[in-house]
Amino acid sequence: MPSDDFAARLRTAVARHIGAPGTIFNLNRLTGGANKTTWSFDAEVAGARHPFILQLASAGIADVPQELLDLSPHLTAEQDARYMIAAVNHGVPAPRVRAIFDDADGLGPGYVTERVEGETLAPRILREERFTRARSLMAAQCGEILAKIHRIPLAEVPFLKHQDAAAQVAAQRKVLDYFDFRLPAIEMGLKWAAENLPKNPRLTAVHGDFRHGNFIVGEEGIRLVLDWEIGQSGDPMQDLGWLCVKTWRFGGPRPVGGFGAREDLFAAYEKASGHAVDPAHVRFWEAFGSVKWALGCLRMGIRGSEESGVERCAIGRRIEEPLWDFLNLIEGRD
Amino acid sequence: MPRSFPDATVILKAAVKYLEEELMPTLDGYHRFKTRVTVNALNIVRRELEMRETQAAAERVRLASILGHDGDVERLSRELAERIRDGSISIDDPALRAHIRQSLADALAINNPKWLTR
Repeated sequence: MPSDDFAARLRTAVARHIGAPGTIFNLNRLTGGANKTTWSFDAEVAGARHPFILQLASAGIADVPQELLDLSPHLTAEQDARYMIAAVNHGVPAPRVRAIFDDADGLGPGYVTERVEGETLAPRILREERFTRARSLMAAQCGEILAKIHRIPLAEVPFLKHQDAAAQVAAQRKVLDYFDFRLPAIEMGLKWAAENLPKNPRLTAVHGDFRHGNFIVGEEGIRLVLDWEIGQSGDPMQDLGWLCVKTWRFGGPRPVGGFGAREDLFAAYEKASGHAVDPAHVRFWEAFGSVKWALGCLRMGIRGSEESGVERCAIGRRIEEPLWDFLNLIEGRD
Repeated sequence: MPRSFPDATVILKAAVKYLEEELMPTLDGYHRFKTRVTVNALNIVRRELEMRETQAAAERVRLASILGHDGDVERLSRELAERIRDGSISIDDPALRAHIRQSLADALAINNPKWLTR
């Protein structure tokens, strides 16, 4: 349970940034990830109760060495919030930011967004009857939403770091060097990526983690796109490819997040953005995305220990899944 | 060398049977989930004990054939990885592709056999 002191500071912050009296109800911790902790709460503002989400940067990030943090884009809590504000301004269903904390709040880096009800668990969205219609709509919705994200002017989000595919390959090799880890399948994946870099990609805002599991879904489809903290600028096709990586299909039968067809995603994106989609270009990012996820498993596996718990250990042992998918993808066996 | 019975894999099977058949039905929420993850983890350990030695012997033969010399399997694998990175072995080499496919299939047979048929 949260301490009284914490709840009191949150109340003061809500009153200060959103409105008085800021009385807090139902404060519940939802998740505690390596990078941030998420809380749900209601607050009384101007005579009515409103549903909110609180995100706080967690101390956990301190156990990631600086050399590794510098290798991949990661936004501060304030930048994360500012990215969502820019996205909402361009019609993207991103969380609506109501407060960004500063030193005076005494809560550390973090922000408050409006809470939207719905389902986030991908296996439920893929299997439950009530989401049948949503599943048929979501691939096209993803295309439309991504077109909007990729239209956010970079001048409005100058803090996004640019990392093209070649820079990402180099960064992944440095991660392997840092851990002194060598696996032929990973080296093959990175070499393949280096030899098949996209030619003349556009440069746009990129979500960076646009995938099933990061959507709030209702019966009408996607209500909200979450997890903007690895936002970056780069090749917009990166987001389309990542969405198709097999890991994010959660066992679902169809290539787009387990729920949809590539054709529906591409057609909606082309119509909304005015830019043609080259399926081979998206496939590059799906294949390279699989290799990057293998590196993600490695990083969690290496940090896996008695203290970090059996789940993190188990994720370390998932490293071959995306590498197997990668091999099948480049050999046309998917 | 004297050894005792039962074999480690039999002990793991008995432990998993208790967790799955007796403990799990009494649990819900967090502890049911964590017990499921623990069962999976113990099954990984059991399959590794059952299969890894045979797999490693075959892996060593494949690696020695590609690299042209024998050695410890971990060192050979590392050498192959370095040679892929420095470009002295092409990633289109059919023997390399076959080796990597077999090594991944072996590892998945231990870590998550269901992934092979997805």
